[in-house]
Formats: sequence, C-alpha cells, structure tokens
Amino acid sequence: MKTKILYIFALVALALSACGGGTPAGGQNPSQEGSGETPAIVRVGWAGSPDTLNPGMAVLSESYTIFELVYDSMYELNMDGTFTLTLAESAAVSDDGLVWTFKIRDGVAFHDGQPLTAKDVVFSYNLYQSTEDYPWMGGYTSYFESIEATDANEVVITLSEAIPNIESQLVFLYVLPEHVWGSEDAVEFDNVSMIGSGPFKMVEYAQNEFVQLAANKDHFFSPPKVDEVIFQTFENNDALVQAIKTGQVDMITEMPATAVETLKTEDAVEVFVGAPLAPTVTDIIFNQVLPENCPEGDGVCTGHPALLDRNFRLALAHATDKQKIIDIIYLGNASPGLTLIPDGLGVWYNDSLADYEFDLAKAAQILDDNGYVDADGDGVRDMPDGSRSLTLRVNWPSDSVDGPRLAELLSEMWGELGIKTELQSMDPDALTAVCCPAFDFDVMLWGWGSDPDPNLLLSVMTSAEIPTGSSETGYSNAEYDELYGQQAVEANFEKRQELVWKMQEIVHNDVVYIIPYYDPNIQAYRSDRFTGWITGEAKLEFSDPSSLTLIEPVK
Amino acid sequence: MPDSGIALLSFREDILLNRFQNLIRRIGWAVLTIAFVIVLNFFLFRILPGDPARAGVHDPRLKKDAVEAIRVRFGLDKPVINCFDSLNPVKFGNCGVNPLETQFFIYVRNLFIGEMGFSYHTNRPVTEILAERLWNTVLLIGAGQILSVIIGVVFGIAAAWKARTNIDYGALTVSLLVWSLPTFWLGIILLFWGSANGFPIGGKATPGMSSMPLSVRWGDIAEHMILPTITYTLVYMGEYMLIMRSSLLDVLSEDYILTAKAKGLSTFQILRDHALKNAMLPLVTVIAINLGFTVAGAIQIESVFSWPGLGLSIFEAVNRRDFPVLQGAFLLIAVAVIAANLIADLTYTYLDPRVKME
Repeated sequence: MKTKILYIFALVALALSACGGGTPAGGQNPSQEGSGETPAIVRVGWAGSPDTLNPGMAVLSESYTIFELVYDSMYELNMDGTFTLTLAESAAVSDDGLVWTFKIRDGVAFHDGQPLTAKDVVFSYNLYQSTEDYPWMGGYTSYFESIEATDANEVVITLSEAIPNIESQLVFLYVLPEHVWGSEDAVEFDNVSMIGSGPFKMVEYAQNEFVQLAANKDHFFSPPKVDEVIFQTFENNDALVQAIKTGQVDMITEMPATAVETLKTEDAVEVFVGAPLAPTVTDIIFNQVLPENCPEGDGVCTGHPALLDRNFRLALAHATDKQKIIDIIYLGNASPGLTLIPDGLGVWYNDSLADYEFDLAKAAQILDDNGYVDADGDGVRDMPDGSRSLTLRVNWPSDSVDGPRLAELLSEMWGELGIKTELQSMDPDALTAVCCPAFDFDVMLWGWGSDPDPNLLLSVMTSAEIPTGSSETGYSNAEYDELYGQQAVEANFEKRQELVWKMQEIVHNDVVYIIPYYDPNIQAYRSDRFTGWITGEAKLEFSDPSSLTLIEPVK
Repeated sequence: MPDSGIALLSFREDILLNRFQNLIRRIGWAVLTIAFVIVLNFFLFRILPGDPARAGVHDPRLKKDAVEAIRVRFGLDKPVINCFDSLNPVKFGNCGVNPLETQFFIYVRNLFIGEMGFSYHTNRPVTEILAERLWNTVLLIGAGQILSVIIGVVFGIAAAWKARTNIDYGALTVSLLVWSLPTFWLGIILLFWGSANGFPIGGKATPGMSSMPLSVRWGDIAEHMILPTITYTLVYMGEYMLIMRSSLLDVLSEDYILTAKAKGLSTFQILRDHALKNAMLPLVTVIAINLGFTVAGAIQIESVFSWPGLGLSIFEAVNRRDFPVLQGAFLLIAVAVIAANLIADLTYTYLDPRVKME
C-alpha cells in the first residue's frame, strides 16, 4: 500500500517536471560567467519601481534613484550630507545673496549627442516653476524670481529673498534637454526614452518589471566603470532576499529587518545599515495646541489637557523605552531618535543633546509630584483636579507597517505608569482630517520625509504652520519662531548650524515630540561580484551614482 | 404518412427558433448584467473611504493648491452625478448641473470609446496598463489551466476506474492535500526551493534580454513560467480530479455501462465511447467558470513570483489606492466571469441535449 501511494506521488512529480517547460533547469543569469569579455552588468533587486519617469510628476523615491543616475543637476548630494558642484564648475553669489551666477562646464553633452548649454538649464528650471501640476517642484522653485542664460555657459538666478540653502533647492532640479521637452506636454509626457546627460543612459524600461541602464563612459564628472545596471522589481521581500542569496541579483536596496541575521551568515553577502539618502523620521505626536491657538474654522482642538503640561510629556518620555522599541520593530537595526532633525542630515543633526533616559520610577515620580495620581482607585491616574482620567487616544495610519507594533509597545510602557491608551489605526485620509489643522486627537504615530536641508522639518514646529495643517503638534514658542526666521536667511554655515542646533535644543527641552527611532536603510551586496561600494558615511545608498559609478567587477 | 413528415419538419424549425430566441435572451441578460456592473463599479469607488486625489500622491501633507490641481486633472472637481458633488462624505451640490458635465456621464461615455481614465499612480491610461498585463496573465493561466485539467482528468479517471483501491485513495489524498494548500504558502515554498535550484524567481523574463534572438527570449520566459505554473497547476488540479472522479463514478454505475461490459467491450472502449463523454459535463462548467475567476485568482501567485499580470496590477493598485486601475480591473474581471458563464451555458446545452434552454 505504501509503495503505491509513493508511486502516485512520483507520478505527480514526474508529470509536473515534464510539463515545466522545454528548457533545462538552472536558469542562471547570462552575466554570471564573469570572463573578461562579457560586459559587467550590475543587477539590482528592489521592491518598487518608478511611478513615472517624468521628473516633474514623480513621487516615489525609486523614480529619483533613476533620475540621479540618468540626469545631471547643478549639485550632487554626497553621502556625508554636503554638496558638490557637478554640472556647474563655479557658483558665485552677490553680496546681498540674491543673485547667483553658475558657470556650466564646457563640452557636456546629452545622451543623444546634443550639447547641454545654459539654455537647457533655464528651460528646465522655468518648466519646473511654471507647471502647476507638478506636485513637488513648486517647493524647490518658490524663491526664483528670474532665471536667465547670459551666454551659452552662464546661468543667472535671481532670488526673491536670500536663502542659505540654494544647494538643496537645486539638487533635485534635473536638467532636461530643451530639444526633447520643448515640444512635449509637461504633464502628459511619459519620458520613457529619457534623454539625459548623467553617468547612465536609459536602455529599456518596463514599468514594475525592470529598468535597464547602460554606462555613459564619456560622462564629464563620474564615468562608470561597469557597463550596465539593471534594476529588477521583486514584489515580495522573501523573493528579494532569496534573489541575493542565490546570486540572481548583486545588490538589494531594501529588506525586512527579520532577514538581516540570516543574510549576515551568508559568506558572499555583506549587509549594511545606515541612514537613507532622503531620511525619514517616525514621530510620536502630542496634541499640545493651546486654546488661544486653535485654528479658526478648521480647529476642533479636543486634545487631552494633560498633554499641554510639559511635565506630563516629560514623564511619557521617561517611560518610553526606545531601545526596546528598536529591538522589537527593527531587531536592533536602527538608531534611537532624538529630535525631528534626523541623524541622516549629518551636520545639521544636534548630537550634543542628552536624551531622557528610560526610567519608570522617575517618570512616576514626576507624575506624582505634579498631582497626576489615581484619585478614584480605578488603576488609571487622573488629572490633578480629578476632572478626567489620563486616558489617551493613540492613532496611526492604517497603511503603516510598524504603527500597530509601536502602538502596542507604547500602550504597554505607558500602561505601567498608570496611563491608559485607546489604540486605533485610521485610514490616512481620516487621520489627516482629525490631525491638523483640526487637532481632534491626543497622540498620533506618524512620520516625516526629509529634504537634505533641515529647513522643512524645522518649519513644522513654528507657530505660523498651526493653521496651515503642517504643524501636527500645535507647538508654539516665540523664541523658536524667531530663530527659525533667522536661520532661514543666514548665509554663514557655522552661524546657521548654531541656530539650527539651538532650535533642536529648545524643542527637545519642551518635549514637543518623542522620536522613537530614525528609520534605517538596510541594504546588501554580494562581495563576490563587485567591489568599491561606498560604506561608512552618514548616509547609505548603494543605488546612488556615488556607488554605482565607482564599483568594478571582482577580479 | 406525409403529414407526419411535415410535422417533423416544423417541429425541427420550432427547436431552431427556440434555440435562437434563447441565445438572444441569454446574451441580453449578460449585457444587462454588465451594464449593472458598470454602474455599480462607478459608485463603489466613489463611496470607498479616502480622497483619491490624495491617494495618488501618497502624502497627506501636500499643499492645498497641488491637491486641487490633481483633482482638476483627473476630473474629480466635477460633480459625481446631478445633485451630488461627492459620495464620500456625501456632499449635496447643485441639481441644475448639465448632466453631460457629471463624472458619471464622462465615465460611461469614455467606456464606450474604450477609455478607462488614467492611473493616479503612474499617470498612464488604464486601458494601456491592463492590456499589457492581461496577456501575461492569459499566458500563465492558460498554461496552468491546460496542465491542471490534463493532470486532474487523468488522475480522476484512474481513481474512478480503480475506485476503492490504493490508487484511488492515493489520488484522493493528493488531490485533497493540494486543493487545501494555501496558494501563497505553496508559492513561497516553491520559491525557496526553486531559487536554491537555479530557477528564476521574479518577473516574466530576465531583464536586458531584448536584443537576444526570439527563441532565446521565449526560452527565458518559459523558464520564468516554471515556478508560477507549477503552483497554479498544483492548486487547481486537485479540484478537477475530485470532480472528474465523482462524476465518472456516477456514470460508471449506470445500467448502460453494465450493458457495455456485458457486450465484452474493453475498459478503454467503455471509458472512451460511453462513460467519459457524459462524465466530462460537470467539469466543463467548472473549468469555464474558473477561467473567468482565475483572471483575479492569480493575484497571490503573481505577487509571490512578481509575475507582471493582471493580478499583480490589482495587488499594486490596492496598495497604492490607484482607483482607476482597480475600477478597470474589476470591470474586466466582471466581464470575463459573465462571458465565461455565458459560454459555459451555451456549451452545456450543446454538449448535453437533455438540458433544454429554458
């Protein structure tokens, strides 16, 4: 009987393997036989795909990864957070800080052979500024009063006010060829042939499948050493991890934290954790809008009154075990957060601040000292006047992967302190509706994406942003607002850095947010394929031109 | 005698006429159902929570002007129907709007000229995205269906003919086992096994092969199909085998099979000439209906193996709340299911004259 059942199994197996297609098993990549003759093709696995190749319309970071490789812009963002002039050989600014003159390098050419001149730069910047349908470009071009080409190689930008961060305004403004874009509809153009001037040129693009790029060996600044880079989309993380394990790809740009330990045991795979090129911050938001600041019309302002008290927020900070959160959510692979300015911003991150240590006894003491005691004996502390128990609503966006775990952990930690939490995830739009400027919540778990420049994140905590909906806390501090205005026009780097650090100190002292961690970038490459990847800097991004133009095949 | 001849003739004409009328009636019902789906589909995606203008750009903190520009671009600034500006939340508007200026009219009119709007996420026409993806799904499901039908039928016949023997029990066990396996789980297991044995585990082809000769590229696609096709085949063959087995067992217990045996026909002859034709009938219905549903049913397999088909489009669109793509995909699936049902109905009456079209 046993043998017969086995026989059936064997038959099924046989039938399946026979039907599996006429080709032999063992589908190795054509590039795997690395003899001297075959081209050096870097295969990159990622879980996403560009949403569009039109730089004005793109939202996803995958699109920007491709833009960085195929286009040039005035500056390049380095892995330590500084900028290098690339397309321009020199930049000069007038004494009042309003007029910038850029000298474009000689002999720069687009991939179709046409020269790149000042006219293309002016055309691109004007396109970004004038196309209202471009969702993000308005922010980068809002200070431009006029952009002119004074000769073939000179671009003069006149600003409406002096700003300290022209680099971060220009770094994502990719220079497009006027002879291609001039005749296209700025919004509808899908730009799949993607003529740029960068270190790589577009070969073939299949959305949600792959992006194939070839090296532009004549690039003026950083000609790649490899011949091709192919980005392949894997829709699930297990496949991504499996692909690098088995050598189907040479590098992966993301992976779940749970895969880190297994991948580290692979001989030929190197795993690195670092701050992303465009850092993101996860924040625990306290609704602390004062009644007099409640926005007229939009404001509901139902925050728990205890959250207005700095001492209460301080107790919550002491009761939050950041290391435990990191250990559970990222299995230890993330750095603890401090202020809204993440460590990935390098020089702007104030690392001199001491965080509030995790100390439940101290937290309890602070609450006791300030009268937050359990007056009615129900196990939950109450307001000093006994009017309300300390029960906080905690909300997070339903599309957040880490939200539920973070909420559970906070509920547990704060629960030990005698603070009750009501956890509920909300649809992102519903969350936006209660968030700001409505201020119809107590605690929210959300996050921010960041520019390379700290200006955007600093603006979030100013009083001016309370009615606009950008301020999620309703925090208002005249001194902070004053400093924000100063740093926004301070052209001297050291002075501005000092202002930015001081601002972080203020919001840290006021416990405006609790920042549990800074989201890490976890990437891996195969050490038996290519060498020369950039590691050990403040930021980590193997798919950035800085790595992809440097790496070469392992001999 | 001549009388009866004429009567027979007119009887035949009656049947033909009857058949024709019934055909028209069935097609009419199918068209009506599709019309209903079109209307339902439109309102479904406007009742769903979430502002589509925000879903497209995926950042709730986008400035108001930019959001408004997006709304205008996708025509969302227009009233949904007369008197209603928005269905979520319900906002009453002007009842005196020109009906031709409502989102509903524009949606229906565009459908008639074959347009399903633009993807919020990629800004590309939905028809273009779906058309490109549909063929990949048809390829994968086609191969999987053919294999699972063949294997299911062969094992079903073997099990029924050798009923209550170890062959029967073995086939039953295997079928029940594979039928009850969760698709994504089986897929992941095969993915781990396959990648360790050199099978490609993502996409439908190795990127960067477009300059290779056609035969090499087809071979490459076939290689990429192996794992998803095995998953699909395993999942569906169990069902076919079970249906085939029980249906054939029914037929084999009929008197005319006994007669055939008594006539001294061989096993093969009995199966081929007498039993199988009748036993296949229930299977035809299930296959046809499955064909319609599997357009959507491949979601799990396609997302495990990154197979760029319709199912993956749905998966991606749900993740990104890309409502126009979802709306288009739902319509396509609905039409496929309705069409498959219609075909099953018509084939059935043709295959089995006992079933009259009522």
